Amino acid sequence: MRKTSKLSGADKAGLVQSGFSSMVLGEAGGISASPVWSKVAEKQAAAHDRILVIVELSGGNDGLNTVIPYGDDAYYNARPHLGIRKDKLLKLDDEFGFQKTMTGFERLYKDGLMGIVHGVGYDQPSFSHFSSMAFWQTGAPNSGEQYGWLGRMADAIDPLGHTKNFLVNIDDSQSLAVRSMNHVPLVFNDPDNFTRRTFFEEKKALEAIDARGNGSANPTQDFLFDIARSANNSEQLVRDAWNAYESPIDYGLVPWGLEKVAALIAADFPTKVYYVPFRNNAFDTHVYQADLHARLWSYTSDHIAAFVRDMERLGRADDVVVMVFSEFGRRVAENTSLGTDHGTAGPAFIIGKPITGGHYGKMPSLTDLDDGNLKFTTDYRRIYSTLIQGWMQHEQPAAILRDEFSPLPIFQRTN
Amino acid sequence: MSAPRAESLLPISGDIWNYARAAHLLERAGFGGTPSDIERLAAMSPADAVAHLVDYAAIDVSHLPEFEESGFWEPSFKNFPVSRPAATELAERTGEAMGVKVKPGGSRPLQPVTNRFFYWLRATVLETRRLGFWWLDRMVRTPRPLEEKMTLFWHGHFATSEEKLRDYRKIKLQNETLRRGATGNFGDLLVAVAKDPAMLVYLDAAQNVKGAPNENFGREVMELFTMGVGNYTEDDIREAARAFTGWGNDDLTFVVDPEKHDAGVKRFLGREGNFTGEDILAIILEQKQTAIYIACKLYRFFVREEISPAFAETLGALLRDNGYELAPFLRTLFLSEDFYAEPSVATHIKSPVELIVSTYRKLGLTELPGIPDPHTVSKTLGQVLLYPPTVAGWSQGRSWITPGLLFERANFAREVMFPNIIEFSDPLHNPGEEIRRVNRNIIAGMEITAATLEDGAAPSATAGIQETFNTRYASLVGYSEAVRKLKPIPRAAAQFSLTRTVLDGGARNTADAVDLLVKQLLRVDLADTARAALIETLEDEIGTTELHEAETYMEHGLRIVAHLIMSSPQYQLA
Repeated sequence: MRKTSKLSGADKAGLVQSGFSSMVLGEAGGISASPVWSKVAEKQAAAHDRILVIVELSGGNDGLNTVIPYGDDAYYNARPHLGIRKDKLLKLDDEFGFQKTMTGFERLYKDGLMGIVHGVGYDQPSFSHFSSMAFWQTGAPNSGEQYGWLGRMADAIDPLGHTKNFLVNIDDSQSLAVRSMNHVPLVFNDPDNFTRRTFFEEKKALEAIDARGNGSANPTQDFLFDIARSANNSEQLVRDAWNAYESPIDYGLVPWGLEKVAALIAADFPTKVYYVPFRNNAFDTHVYQADLHARLWSYTSDHIAAFVRDMERLGRADDVVVMVFSEFGRRVAENTSLGTDHGTAGPAFIIGKPITGGHYGKMPSLTDLDDGNLKFTTDYRRIYSTLIQGWMQHEQPAAILRDEFSPLPIFQRTN
Repeated sequence: MSAPRAESLLPISGDIWNYARAAHLLERAGFGGTPSDIERLAAMSPADAVAHLVDYAAIDVSHLPEFEESGFWEPSFKNFPVSRPAATELAERTGEAMGVKVKPGGSRPLQPVTNRFFYWLRATVLETRRLGFWWLDRMVRTPRPLEEKMTLFWHGHFATSEEKLRDYRKIKLQNETLRRGATGNFGDLLVAVAKDPAMLVYLDAAQNVKGAPNENFGREVMELFTMGVGNYTEDDIREAARAFTGWGNDDLTFVVDPEKHDAGVKRFLGREGNFTGEDILAIILEQKQTAIYIACKLYRFFVREEISPAFAETLGALLRDNGYELAPFLRTLFLSEDFYAEPSVATHIKSPVELIVSTYRKLGLTELPGIPDPHTVSKTLGQVLLYPPTVAGWSQGRSWITPGLLFERANFAREVMFPNIIEFSDPLHNPGEEIRRVNRNIIAGMEITAATLEDGAAPSATAGIQETFNTRYASLVGYSEAVRKLKPIPRAAAQFSLTRTVLDGGARNTADAVDLLVKQLLRVDLADTARAALIETLEDEIGTTELHEAETYMEHGLRIVAHLIMSSPQYQLA
C-alpha cells in the first residue's frame, strides 16, 4: 500500500488558517488560541467531542430472524422452514436469541453495551425500499423533505458550519441522511484513492482552476466549486489518517466501513456524525434467505463489535455511540421461496459504552397483525430524538424532527 | 430577438440558432462531439438538426460491430442452480448437475460439479464485462447517438443487473429490446420489457404463483416503471401481483403457465375483472399519472431537475396526446424554447457514462480505447453498465458528485491524456488475491486442502479433513477455464493528436491553443484567471508563445492543458 507523506508544519499552519484548527491542534485549549473559533470551540469542548455513528442496513433486514422471539410459538408457526430452532441460536434470555453467527452482538449485549429497541417503525408504512429508506433518512415520512435528519441536526447544532467535516459518509455517493443546508458532507469510500493525481508543473494552474470566484448564475456550477473546495481541504487529512491507522483488531470477513471511521477518530477528526451503509440492498432476502441472512449478520455483527473494541483501544469508548437500523423488517410469515417479503417494524440497536444496555420498546405481537405485518410499537423518530438530545445534547430535537418524540431512557446512566 | 423562455414548449426561432445551441443539443440528445460535428448541426435549421438526431432510422449503422460471443453458453447451464449448495445437493440427489455426472469414487467426488458451478459464475461475469465494453464502444462509434442515449435511459429505468441474473445472454437480449424500442411507443416497450427474461428473473416472476404471489414485479412496475409512489395502494400491488402469476421464462422465451396463473377476479385501480398481466399494464397506461411520470423522468434526464407541478402536467399531456409515442415527444422537447432557456443550459452534471463517452467523442475518437479499462473507470466513478445498483437504477444529478468522485473524474482525464501503460494489466485476467494464492500453492505442489486453507492455519488443520469438494479450488479451476475461453478485449490507448487539433483549428499562439481546447471540451467558460494560468503553464512547457516554433514537441504541453481543463468543475457540466 502506498503511503503518503505526513503533513509538514507549514501545511498544518495552512489548514489551521482554513478552519481545520480543531483537528490539527487536537486540544480544545489549542483552538481557543484562535479567536475566530473560540466560541464554537468552547461549546464543542462542553459536548466532550461526542460522536454518533449511524449504520444503515439496506434492503430491509429480517428482524424476526435477527432478534429471534424463540419463546413465542407463533414465530415457529409463521416460519415452519425459516424459523431458527431453539438449539441453534444464541440465547439472550428466556424470550430472545440471536442468530448463531451473531457472536459479536451477543458479547456486546452481555457486556451491557447494547440497547435493543423493539418494534421500530412508523404509521402507514411504505413497503418500498426507496420510500421507506427516504423516510428514515429524512426523519420525515411523506413530506418531500429535501435535507436529511442528520444534515438538519448538523445545521441546528452548528448553523454556520464552523466544524469542518461535521458529517462524514463512508460511501461512493452521498446519502440523503446527511444532506445539509450549511454543511458539505465529506463522502469517500476508498481513502487510498481519495486523491487527484497531478504533475508537479500543473499545481499552480490547478489552484486557479479550482478557485470559485464570486459565484455565477449557474447553481450547479457553484455546487461543483463547493465540492472542489471540500475535496482539496480534506484529501490530505483523510489519507494521512488512513495511512497512520493500524489496528490489531479483526474487523471481520467483510470490513464494510467502520474501520475507516476508526481511522478518522484515531486521527482526531472533528467529525460529529459518521454515516456508514451496508450497501447494495444486501438485506433484501426474498429467496433462499437462511444461509445468506446468517452470513450477512456474521459480517455485520463481527464488524460492529470490532469497532466498539477498537474505540476502547483508542480510549474513545466513552465518546462514541452507534445506532443500527434498516428501512423496514419483513413479513411475519415466510414466503414460498424460502425467503421473506417486505414488511414493517423491526429491531434497531443502540450500541456503546455510554448507554444503558437492555431491551427498549415493546415487542410487537406475532399474532395481532396488520395484514400479515407487525404493528410497530416504537416510532423510529423516538430513537432520533434520543440521540439528538440524550447523546448530542441538542435541546430542541422537535425543531429538527418537526414534532415531539419522547426519548428512550437509554442515556440516563450518564446524564 | 428575445431569449428562449423557460417552460415554453414552442419551437425556438431559427434566428437564434447558432454554434452554442447546436453544441447544447448534441451534448444532451447525444454525447457531444467535435467542433466539426457541431458546425454541421449549426448549419442546419433547428428543426432539421433535431430531426437528424431523433429520426435516426434512416442512418445506416450496418458498419457497427456486432457483439461476438466468447462461446461460454452450453444448454446444460439452463436452470442454473441458485447457489453452490443447491448445485452440490442436486448432484448428490440425482447424480448429475449442469451436465456433469458425479464421480463414482476417489477423492472429492463432487469436485467437478463444483468446478462447473464456479466456471459459469465467472464466465458470465467476464462476458458481461465484454458486453459492457461493446456497448460503450458502440456509444462512441454510433452515428445515431440518441439511439444509444435512450437505450441508456431505459437501462436505468428498467434496471436489471448481472449480479442477480447471472446470465449474459438475458442481459444482451434485454439490451436489444431496449434499443429496438428506444424511441418507439412507451406502452409497447413496457409490455416487451415485462415479458423479457431478464426482467422476469430479476423481479422473481418464477416465485409469483397462484396462491402465493410474490409482489416484487407488481410493486416495481408501478412504483418505478410507470406511476411513482403515492398513486396506488398496497392492495393494488397485491392484485397486480395476482394478475402476473404464471408469467415466467423457459430460458430465453416468455411463457405463461396456466396452472400457476390466478384467473380469479381482481380489483385494480378502481376496476374489477379477471385481469391478466397485459390487462394490468393496459390499465396502468390509461392512468394520467403514468404519462406525467415518464415524461418528467425523460425531462430530468435530458433537460433539468426542477419541474413545476404545472409544467409536469404539460409534459404529461404532451406524451399522452402523442399516444406515448416517444419520438414526437422528444422532437418537441429538443426544439422547445425551454430546452435552450438559461436554466437548461450547462446545468446538467454528466453521468459517468456520459463523461467517458463524451470525452472520447470530443477528442474525435472513432472507437473505445481499452486503456484505461472502461469498466474500472466506470466502477470508480459510480456507474457500471449492466450493473445498476438497485432496481431503481442510478440517481442522477448532484448525486454523481462527491469530493472524492470529483477527484476521480480528474484522474480519468489524466488516464486519457497520459495513459499509464507501464502499470497496465488486463483486469479481466486478475482473479483477485485469494485465487492467486491458491494458484501459487497448487503450482508449488501442495495438496488441495492445505493449498486452500487460510494463510497461517496450522498444517495439522488438514489432518482428517475428508472433503467431497473444495470451493476455493473450484474457484481457481472455474476462473482459469473461463479466462482461457474468453475472447480478448482490445487493449490500446486512445490515438489522437492535440497538435493536429490546434493547428487545424488555426491556432497560432498559446492563447489561441488554450481557447481552442476550451471550446473543444467545455460548454461553460473558465474564469479569466484560470485561462491566464493555463496560457502561462503552456508557455512554460513549450518555452515560447508561438506554436509554429514548438510544433514538433508541443503535444505534451497541450495534453497538460487538456488535462487541466478536464479537471475543472466546469468539465462535469453538459
